[in-house]
Amino acid sequence: MTADISTPTVESIGAWLTERVAEYVDAPKESIASDVPFGEYGLDSVAAFTVCTDIEDHLGLVLEPTVLWDHPTIDALSAFLVGELNTAR
Amino acid sequence: MTAGAPARLAAHTVAAVLSGRSGPGGPFDPAELARLDEAEEFPAAACAELDAAGLPDWYVPARFGGALAELPDVMAVMRATARRDLTVAIAHGKTFLGSVSVWVAGSADQAAALASAVRSGGIVSWGLTERDHGSDLMAGAVTATRHGDGWVLDGAKWLINNATRADLMCVLARTEPGGGPRGFSVFLADLRDPRPGTVRRTPKLRTHGIRGADISGVEFTGAAAVLVGDEGAGIEITLKALQLTRTTCTVLSLGAGDHAVAIAAEFLRERVLGRRRLSDVPRMRRVLGEAATGVLLAEAAAVVAARSAHTLPDELSVTSALVKAFVPTAVEQSIEQLAELMGTRGFLTADYRHGEFAKLERDHRIVGLFDGSTLVNRASLITQFPRLARRNALDVTTTVCLAEPLPTLDTARLVLVSRTGNAIVSGLSSALAELPAEFADLADALLRESGAVHAELARHRPVARAVPTAAFRLAERYELLFAAAAAVHVWVANPASRWERGCWLRACLTLALTRLGVPVDGADDAYEDVAAAVLAHGAVSLLDGGRA
Amino acid sequence: MTGAARVADLERRLGDPFDPANPLSFAEILAADERGEMFAAGERALDEFGLGAEFVPSADGGRLTRLDHLVELMRSVYRRDPCLGLGYGASSLIAGVNVWTAGGSAQRGRVADLLLSGRKVACAFHELAHGNDMAGADFAATPDGDHLVLRGRKEVITNVQRADAVVVFARTGDRPGSRSHSLVLLDKAELPGDALSYLPRFRTVGMRGVQLGGLVVDGARIGRDAVLGAEGGALETAMRALQITRTTLVAMSTGLLDTGLRVTLRHTANRTLYGRRAVDIPHLRSVLTGAFADLLTAEAFATVATRALHVLPGQTSVYAPAVKYGVAKLVLDAVHQLSVVMGARFYLRDGAHGIFQKLVRDVKPVGFGHIGRPVCQSTILPQLPALARRAWLSGDGAPAVLFDLGADLPPLSFDALALSAGGRDPLASSLLAAAEGADPQVRALAGPFAARLRDLAARCAGLAPRDLAMTAPNRSYDLVEAYVTVLTATACLQLWRHNRTDAFLGDPAWLSAALTRLSRQPGGPVPLLPEPVEARLFDELSQRLADNRGFGIANRPFATGTTKEKSA
Repeated sequence: MTADISTPTVESIGAWLTERVAEYVDAPKESIASDVPFGEYGLDSVAAFTVCTDIEDHLGLVLEPTVLWDHPTIDALSAFLVGELNTAR
Repeated sequence: MTAGAPARLAAHTVAAVLSGRSGPGGPFDPAELARLDEAEEFPAAACAELDAAGLPDWYVPARFGGALAELPDVMAVMRATARRDLTVAIAHGKTFLGSVSVWVAGSADQAAALASAVRSGGIVSWGLTERDHGSDLMAGAVTATRHGDGWVLDGAKWLINNATRADLMCVLARTEPGGGPRGFSVFLADLRDPRPGTVRRTPKLRTHGIRGADISGVEFTGAAAVLVGDEGAGIEITLKALQLTRTTCTVLSLGAGDHAVAIAAEFLRERVLGRRRLSDVPRMRRVLGEAATGVLLAEAAAVVAARSAHTLPDELSVTSALVKAFVPTAVEQSIEQLAELMGTRGFLTADYRHGEFAKLERDHRIVGLFDGSTLVNRASLITQFPRLARRNALDVTTTVCLAEPLPTLDTARLVLVSRTGNAIVSGLSSALAELPAEFADLADALLRESGAVHAELARHRPVARAVPTAAFRLAERYELLFAAAAAVHVWVANPASRWERGCWLRACLTLALTRLGVPVDGADDAYEDVAAAVLAHGAVSLLDGGRA
Repeated sequence: MTGAARVADLERRLGDPFDPANPLSFAEILAADERGEMFAAGERALDEFGLGAEFVPSADGGRLTRLDHLVELMRSVYRRDPCLGLGYGASSLIAGVNVWTAGGSAQRGRVADLLLSGRKVACAFHELAHGNDMAGADFAATPDGDHLVLRGRKEVITNVQRADAVVVFARTGDRPGSRSHSLVLLDKAELPGDALSYLPRFRTVGMRGVQLGGLVVDGARIGRDAVLGAEGGALETAMRALQITRTTLVAMSTGLLDTGLRVTLRHTANRTLYGRRAVDIPHLRSVLTGAFADLLTAEAFATVATRALHVLPGQTSVYAPAVKYGVAKLVLDAVHQLSVVMGARFYLRDGAHGIFQKLVRDVKPVGFGHIGRPVCQSTILPQLPALARRAWLSGDGAPAVLFDLGADLPPLSFDALALSAGGRDPLASSLLAAAEGADPQVRALAGPFAARLRDLAARCAGLAPRDLAMTAPNRSYDLVEAYVTVLTATACLQLWRHNRTDAFLGDPAWLSAALTRLSRQPGGPVPLLPEPVEARLFDELSQRLADNRGFGIANRPFATGTTKEKSA
């Protein structure tokens, strides 16, 4: 099951990101909290680049690879991404 | 005059200086270098000789007043030294590696001041690693805290080249107690005249090779330092600097490879067993040819990567990791193959050529370890697999035409992840299409492998934890694909490189395919051509008409 | 004491080398290596144990009855300090086997006395100008009535200066060829003090403690009865006797790999990288497991070849160079792979893991020492056509005693060692039936090797003489490589088949790992192990580390004690 991102909101992007992160760190998505820094789950700074690539591909955005460094939780990143998507439209 | 010519001139000058100073009693006398190695003494006279020859100018970019216009320039002069003695090349070349962070991120004033220090022979070191954290930059515990207008450093850097001899050191330090990717910054510390008690050099570590080099450490206790670049940008600056240094230090491997091939070729020519010269024994020629081909394949990868720093800087995160993983590994394999030919003479430390072979073998093992080990670089490649799965259609003409002038190296265009994947590998099929029909079998096989590797890249599911072994294997395969692609591009774009009817390409592609697991017919003949060239000329190269 | 009891006794005497409180610790071994000296405390411990007696056949008053026991004993030495292995032990063994093969009773008695009383005997074959080409040796022992006049030099000879006797490979005739050299037992007690002079020590990058010297003689006279065996018989004696040492020395070297693997496991278990233990990183775990599989593979082939010296002495002229060629490569490559895992710690000579870089240097002679791998290839090559035509597809089996580790071995017969295998190859010829008779899982693994043997038989049967000489085209050498791989695979398969009651050896996991890794194309990547196989082997490896047991075929306990007990 893939989260619906057709109407990007903080919630829908957050749900999608949670799935991605859960997959990367090989943990159930229920265990991923949206306000805990990625690093706590073992998603290190270099692995963050891979997630960034994934986000670009799914949302059709061009992002700084360091976007997860600067927005290090699902909440922060979702909010940032919604802003980017709205700007892009 | 073609671009790159000044550097070739410089490399020849350096080679000539070294050659002239390698007689008995000279600073590059192999006997003296062997003595220093055993006694673990720094090759100070040899380094002074390089200072006098003007080498430090090549460590400073032209825009800051130095001679370095193109990355291949500094690589050519470092290779000339590495071919003589790797300990000296590493001891002296560290100043370039240590300065790069400032060239990437320093202010104009900082860069100017550093340029002047380097050009007057100042030694610059790079304080990255710490005890027990190794290559894990984000685990670093050295801290920097604000102190008045400036900063002070506390903590210990360990396993640092030239930590004791350094006048200046670029230091990665933690500026947020919690660390994290925005929790580190780069500093430049002047170690020449510190406030008493703030800088303590820790003893030289005893190493397997480069025994004379100053591999030591430094302990900061409230030592003054200036910030380089933005606060919190340390990891980013360091990763960008590493892209340049990882690309550059591949020439240390090439120099060691040149040295090893030359010694082995001379040994085979001189040695008579029964009534035959070893150089007439097909098996010996085969091993020599294959080992020399390994160095050529590594050279193709390194040269193209160095040029791509100028033309495709936004792909350097991939390219630098590729060559830093591939080149030292390939040259290590070549040296091991040659060691088998050398037998006892590769093991003696005084009685045959002052133990040069055994020394270069030990010395060279460091190249695979510093500025990120082979495993670290492969891990970095793996994180970029999703982008490598796709091919781009970027023009690589300037990158692979060795005589073309290169655009200025724009460090502002360095990024942490290549958005376009890798243009050299992407351009493989069109380059293969330019090859004459005699290469059809190899070209077909390479295309098939390329297809298989890209399909596997597309299937790869990234995981942060527990990266599977298969991903490391895939990284290795991609490295081989890159090296093979580089070789094809160079051959196609540079008719001048095709000495002896361009036989080296068949050998290089044979080697790459074999290591990819594809058996190749006619391998013996391919390596034989390279062996014949090596026995006739000493070490061979894709550059400068074939003479390494 | 039985062989197994002596192995345990030596382990106990030498203690745990990882324990810094042990006077025979790695720290002390390293310190001696740094000084370029033999490890004196280690030599004393071996003197007390009476290691020299292990090199003397029981018929001559010593304790040598089984070579497999000797190998296992020496692995205890090599796993601590390869310099002791070579510089205390193996060099006397090399000299000894020539004496036991060709010497008369007085000569045997004299050498036995020396070794039983802890003295050294050196073996002076090597001349730098001729390397592995024994027939090219220039050192002359020119007959003059009842005497031999000695003139010449020998170079890079272990213990030549401190030995009481030296077995010298010397030219006794002018004609080129195979009957112009003799082995001469040079008893220093019978020569005036100034008859011999010595070259300065040869310094080497590894084995730094070993006393490598040279011998110069200019006109000294010794009795003609110093010749071992018949005059002109040196080449033949050496080619027969050295089958023992070519097999067993490389077999002993797996002790070095055991330590390399143990140090790497200890390092990765304690090291945290990117927030997790290094040993939990799947790639590093694969390398560690691969090294374990290679160690088992190396020991499997070495074990079978060592047993063959007792069981099939007529055929070991092929197996000895094959085991040297194949096992050396496995050990060298495994140590290299482990060094990559060790990362920067491999490069440091200090600290808890400082011993590792010593192993990286000491392992080198495994490839070229005693006999070089390229020479092994050219030794095997001429035998291939006869083996291909007569043996490989003959369906002949091999005696079970070759593989059944619980079975007693026949006594070692030096006389039975032969110059040629005479077209018989029970090990390789046992492959087809063993592969076809196995259960489907094993058959799938072994089948490709059977196919490779059939292919080899077709290619080798018609090789012309020019394809067999040292100057043969490279494709001939590729055939040797393939043949050695088939032999190694067969040894693994048969060892598994004949030891099914052993909880580990009888489990197909290790066999699967061995055959998977041996299936690589020459120069190609080593195939990855199937996940369950890797998991099973890694569990075994971890358990043996925890239990302080050896990683080899014998799976024996290692010393845990911190004290070295003095013998009464």
